[in-house]
Amino acid sequence: MIKKKKIPEASIPTSSMADIAFLLLLFFLVATVIDVDTGIGLTLPEYVEDIETVEVPKDRMAALLINERGDILLDGEQVSVFQIKNNLKKRIVEKIELPKAKKLIVSLKTDRKTFYNTYVQALDQVKLSFFEVRDEYSNANFGRRYIDLKPDQQDEVKEKIPIIISLAEPEVVKK
Amino acid sequence: MKFEKRRATTKQEIPTASMPDIVFMLLLFFMVTTTLREVDVLVDFKLPDAQAIEKIENKRLISYIWVGNTGKIQINDSIVMLGDVQPLMYTKRQELPNIIVSLRIDRNSDMGLVTDIQQELRKAYCLRINYSANIKI
Repeated sequence: MIKKKKIPEASIPTSSMADIAFLLLLFFLVATVIDVDTGIGLTLPEYVEDIETVEVPKDRMAALLINERGDILLDGEQVSVFQIKNNLKKRIVEKIELPKAKKLIVSLKTDRKTFYNTYVQALDQVKLSFFEVRDEYSNANFGRRYIDLKPDQQDEVKEKIPIIISLAEPEVVKK
Repeated sequence: MKFEKRRATTKQEIPTASMPDIVFMLLLFFMVTTTLREVDVLVDFKLPDAQAIEKIENKRLISYIWVGNTGKIQINDSIVMLGDVQPLMYTKRQELPNIIVSLRIDRNSDMGLVTDIQQELRKAYCLRINYSANIKI
């Protein structure tokens, strides 16, 4: 009588597979950089050879001047960085219902020696004032904050409160 | 009276056979989301802080320009001169028409340099820019 030979079970041990997978996982966890890029967005004007100068009525302009020591002049009056926002907000609100050609223009002018940080702080305040007016307007009219609005409502608010920032080219310091 | 501890007759084990699968799933997620850093930053910089911050939705559109605390400008993998900014950025823009230029500038830089770079960018028609800044709490 022939006895059937018992075939030994052939299998690859898989118990360490989880360990290997964990190791790989760890590598990717460590190597991943989930940093969202954050910053202040801006669109530059197109470059033209000879610049046309257009007269803009005084009440439409908010002129911000920053000198090399970080002193800020808003329409001829010296202000601190944190005063910019409330000053501008008032003027933006006044112009919500005016036609497009009469909205507020913020002109930002710096010296060549001004610190970049000071400039960003001022620009930040200007942007913030526009954003806050937008938020208040959408809260009053739609009952929601600006970011939670529907796209067409957002466009409407954008139409009412456009962000117009003019960057003047810095001049050489006069001595 | 004698008390006997009641024991369940079923096995009390958590099946671990599917653990590798779960781990692989996680692994796959991280593999897909990872963007390995492509460039070495050669300059030292400290970004300014700001509140009115926007997130850039599309990371693929971003191109960086670094400016270090010594006034060096870096694009791609190398330090460049101010005059090289325009041709470099122009070729970048041709490849990617709606490019966003993220300016990572040291907070103590002079505005003169920043405006010079901006002028070069305007000539290169890279008009969408972003002043990179940290969120101020």
